[in-house]
Amino acid sequence: MSGFRTIDELETALQAADYLPDRGLSTALFLSLALEKPLLLEGEAGVGKTEAAKSLATATGSRLIRLQCYEGLDVAHAVYEWNYPRQLLHIRAAQEGTVSEDELFGPEFLIRRPLLEAIDSDEPVVLLIDEIDRADEEFEAFLLEVLSDFQITIPELGTIRARRRPAVILTSNRTRELHDALKRRALFHWIGHPSIEREIEIVKIRIPGVSERLAAEAAAFVRELRGLDLAKPPGVAETIDWTMALNALGRRELDAEVVEQTLGSVLKYREDIEQVRDETLAELVDTARAAASR
Amino acid sequence: MAGDAFVRHVVTFGRVLREVGLEVGPGRVADALRGLDAVDLERQEDVYYALRQTLVSRHDELDLFDRAFRAWFLRAPVLPPVRVQQQPQVQQRVGESLVDRQRDGGDEDSSGGEDPLELGASARELLRDRDFAEMSPDEYLRVKRLIALIARRRPKRMSRRRHADPRGDRLDVRRLIRHSLRTGGDPVDRPFRARKDVPRKLVVLCDVSGSMDAYARALLLFLHAAVGSGPGVEAFAFGTRLSRLTPELGTRDPEAALEKCTEAVTDWGSGTRIGASLKEFNDVYGRRALSRGAVVVVVSDGWERQDPELVGREMARLARAAYAVVWVNPLKGNPEYQPLAGGMRAALPFVDRFLPGHNLRSLEELATVLAGIERRHAA
Repeated sequence: MSGFRTIDELETALQAADYLPDRGLSTALFLSLALEKPLLLEGEAGVGKTEAAKSLATATGSRLIRLQCYEGLDVAHAVYEWNYPRQLLHIRAAQEGTVSEDELFGPEFLIRRPLLEAIDSDEPVVLLIDEIDRADEEFEAFLLEVLSDFQITIPELGTIRARRRPAVILTSNRTRELHDALKRRALFHWIGHPSIEREIEIVKIRIPGVSERLAAEAAAFVRELRGLDLAKPPGVAETIDWTMALNALGRRELDAEVVEQTLGSVLKYREDIEQVRDETLAELVDTARAAASR
Repeated sequence: MAGDAFVRHVVTFGRVLREVGLEVGPGRVADALRGLDAVDLERQEDVYYALRQTLVSRHDELDLFDRAFRAWFLRAPVLPPVRVQQQPQVQQRVGESLVDRQRDGGDEDSSGGEDPLELGASARELLRDRDFAEMSPDEYLRVKRLIALIARRRPKRMSRRRHADPRGDRLDVRRLIRHSLRTGGDPVDRPFRARKDVPRKLVVLCDVSGSMDAYARALLLFLHAAVGSGPGVEAFAFGTRLSRLTPELGTRDPEAALEKCTEAVTDWGSGTRIGASLKEFNDVYGRRALSRGAVVVVVSDGWERQDPELVGREMARLARAAYAVVWVNPLKGNPEYQPLAGGMRAALPFVDRFLPGHNLRSLEELATVLAGIERRHAA
């Protein structure tokens, strides 16, 4: 179903969707399509896990269906739910009590949630199951079933089978270990921070009109930050947000003053910001500027 | 396209990985072969990723995989990865005093069958108050099972998941509709759903440095039983550095589990770097939100010689993420004890409950506190 014969072809399509994957990620996405297996993406926050799925959808001309996981996520919110208000109204409207159960639990009263939507679709679909580690283990077990059979059973309607398998991307921030059975079912790829060259490219492609110099200096500065001992090192998402802010302020390069003012969009913890204040900050800016002009 | 020799090569590589501890089943090897079939074998990078993505499923296995890959496919002059072996003298250091005394006391299996509850009430009371450090091997064996019983109580939290419950607080609309069919659409019968209590995450960080030796074994037994009480318990040991013990303590038999812990921890009976160990925990596991919403228990005498300030800073970080923080210090069993040690003093402002944990009674107290613990009062 993939339509891409080589990794290079897929890479080109992803680039056309404004996404610059490294070779490892392209390979992972390619294999996920070629072997028709779900892909589990892990990595620090902000390295572009969710973005990867969105871009894959664009690159393959598929519809993106996203299931955001959270604690307590259940079948009613992930798969389907009956439209109770409509059902009640329908019973009322029928008056004489001639409503049969079959009628009441028919497709027109069904609210389709992401998983059902993805299974029961005629167009190509990329199913993004985001932050699976946040869902509880009961849901993980249920998901495992869906991902092995690609079918969903609704007691009142019967079994719905996928006519074409969706491409499945799972992401996890590793707040807990996932079940082995689920891992066995999926390919695994760890996304690290990108190389500096790639990060500059990413910033440029995401912020049209940004000055070359600003992009390079910002990427170099964030790279310096990642080398420090921080509670939460910034990801690519932070580099983009921050450079966007600087760009909106009309900046074409970095200086200590503007970095100090905008530091809150790169570092999200008070201790981290405090650690980087003052001399450290001036020094980091100098290092970043020197690195960028090389 | 994949020739016989090639297939054999990959299969053998799978075996190499299995030997260094990766879980590589036949399914994974089959995936690897299919994956290699789909990529360009001329490109080393693609071969590397295709193998990695099909054969590895955990971040912490990447390093082992990389070394195996270099050795096997690139024939680079690196030693094949080997799981770190412990020196025998280190192994003997586990709670030395107790182990030695226990060995003198003879065969533990025969005495393990004794029911600790069969002791007379007064003897039981005595045992309950006896300091772990002063117990005879015989007494120790008696309390072993009591420790396990105590540790099974767990902090609870409300799940977001609901189940049918007539005393519940939310209407079960799906059933309501179905029931109201019989009554012409009138909701005569009102089924409800309720949330249920589920165990809260519990993280225990246990000091195994020299000064804690006399208590380490009893506390590890407590940990072992806690890990066995169900999912959501994480156990760590620290002296000069942090080791995760959850997998080791997952072994059902307590003695075998303790044995495995000895192998896994490289710094038994060493010095203490509480601040640095807490920092390692916050950096590596806290960032993965392991501590978020959890009850975190630190077991230590608070003897930080290096950097009390770091202890305070890291405790603050820990306390912010955790639901509640409990500090267990066996020294507190002594009525004269005052938390003057630098590390202990720095940590206390971030601790919700400060408990002794030097004997059975205090472990019971710990279990009671854990079962009913509330969100942090002192911020």
